[in-house]
Amino acid sequence: MEALTVALPKGRMQDEVLDLFAEAGYVGESDNGRKLIFGDSENKLRFVLAKPADVPTYVEYGAAELGVVGQDVLREGGQDLYEPLHLGLGCCRLALAGPPAWRERDLRLIPYLRVASTFPRLTLDYFQERGLSVEVIYLSGSVELAPAVGLAELLVDLVQSGRTLKENGLVELETIMESEAILVVNRAAQKLHFRQIQEVINRLAGALERRKVAA
Amino acid sequence: MSNHLRRQRPHGLNDLFYEQAAIKTGLEELLLETFSLWGYQRIILPTFGYYESLSAGTSPEIQRHMYRFFDREGNVLALRADMTVPTARLVATRLYDQPLPLRFCYAGSVFRHEQPQAGQRHEFTQAGVELIGAATPEADAEVVALAIAALQALGITEFQINLGQVAFLRALMEDMGLQNGDQYELEQAIGRKNDVEVAATLEKLQVTGEAARLIRALPHLYGGVEILPRARDLATNPAARAAVEYLEDVYGLLVAQGVAEHIILDLGEIRGMAYHTGIAFRGYVRGLGFDVCGGGRYDDLMTQFGSSLPAVGFALGIERAMLASPFQADVALDLLLFCESQADGYAVAARARALGLQVELEVLRRRGDDLLEYGQAKRARRIVTCDSEGHCVLYQRDTERELTLAEIQEEMAGWRR
Repeated sequence: MEALTVALPKGRMQDEVLDLFAEAGYVGESDNGRKLIFGDSENKLRFVLAKPADVPTYVEYGAAELGVVGQDVLREGGQDLYEPLHLGLGCCRLALAGPPAWRERDLRLIPYLRVASTFPRLTLDYFQERGLSVEVIYLSGSVELAPAVGLAELLVDLVQSGRTLKENGLVELETIMESEAILVVNRAAQKLHFRQIQEVINRLAGALERRKVAA
Repeated sequence: MSNHLRRQRPHGLNDLFYEQAAIKTGLEELLLETFSLWGYQRIILPTFGYYESLSAGTSPEIQRHMYRFFDREGNVLALRADMTVPTARLVATRLYDQPLPLRFCYAGSVFRHEQPQAGQRHEFTQAGVELIGAATPEADAEVVALAIAALQALGITEFQINLGQVAFLRALMEDMGLQNGDQYELEQAIGRKNDVEVAATLEKLQVTGEAARLIRALPHLYGGVEILPRARDLATNPAARAAVEYLEDVYGLLVAQGVAEHIILDLGEIRGMAYHTGIAFRGYVRGLGFDVCGGGRYDDLMTQFGSSLPAVGFALGIERAMLASPFQADVALDLLLFCESQADGYAVAARARALGLQVELEVLRRRGDDLLEYGQAKRARRIVTCDSEGHCVLYQRDTERELTLAEIQEEMAGWRR
């Protein structure tokens, strides 16, 4: 039996995700995240740490059979994967935000809007579905700056506690989508390694169940 | 006009040359030969047609991905996005009263303007078959077995065919009284195997109790023949039961052909083409992150064109198969030839070609090291140079021998591969 490769998101969610795999009985020596590939040879799993937005790409091409990624990132990338398990961590929401004055304004009545976002596709979809015309300005980070420097009127970003928005004098206007980390599986791998993958899903589901009971 | 596009080609299109072009041609030939051995006759279809015709019976996704343009009368034209729909159009409009069943095979480009996805191009080649006019398990089993034979013909050994039954879920959904749009939404969630999304959709559509339990059990109907009794237990109406029994018959015929080791029954997979009405299957190759072939039964498609003929077929993506097949193309040259006397050159080349050897006649009048260097670059098996008196040198691997023109001609017969 070949080892399965699992792509995990580096950064924000990394430790939480590794904890969950540990609770499911998978141990990986990550060397504090400096090593990008490490394995659990006993259980035939190999972990690779990738940038979150790259995780679905690894899985889509089959370079990793499984992956863990936020729903927001997955929908933005639009990759066609199986999504068999929600992991109950990395919870956040994709929200439309702006200066407080925008609370009183109806977006329908604003002829033209500029919206800064690190999620251009989801942002555009959200406005287009409502029949609104916007110019989506893609930024790779710190979108909270955009209204202050006059780059855009509004912004779309991930919100966890809302603190970053508050610190920049911004308020949340609308929720675009709720997101949490999910397990994703390559479509062909799910067929070719059905039992092996089912085992991973079951063990993770078991760990989640134990967490629920403990809480 | 600006010419900045002159040296480019649109995204998702590929140039093939050298070995890659030879491998693709070779695979196509192997497939068409296999299809022909099973009694399938070649059809050649137009690359484009009316959008209304080429999109008939297809899903909204495929329709969105079709390349569309106008003819001079303002009609909407489209490039074909698959081969099954135009085949159905041909049969339903022109061949519907011919002796049945009809067995057709094809190889050609199809076009889909999709978001670039793993292994997906905007133009790719499908080779496949359609068996028309037979609504029997024998027909389905033949097409599945032929898909297996096709993969084997390409030298692919580690593969599996996931065989499902679209009619099973459709029959179950009928009981739930879902509208088309709702059904589509639910199928999307089931297709992603996203249990949370499935549960939310079921709740939204107010599907509860037995029906909801059944939908949730679907992903686990995966494996060998042992899942069929479980599927029969879950079947809530006669149509669903009949769908399972039909699949069982097809499976039995695949066992009888000795190919069941490649088959995984997969009732949880509901993704096929929108026009599929019965069995649906996909082929997966170890080490490849996407399917290489797919097919199924489509008994209603031809009614879109005014005849009603049942049919079943499959197609294989050649570019994807190229990633999985060990097939090697031999593009090395048999003979590189330069003669001082053009007449000698033409005579020797003609004789060599008559023997089936691949011959390149030097047209740049190089000789000596220049010619040898070129011959090496072209991986020529032999290089021959002759002077005007008919004294020749044969360079073969690292040796060189002096021969006469007549001796060369004599030796040639042994050069055939």
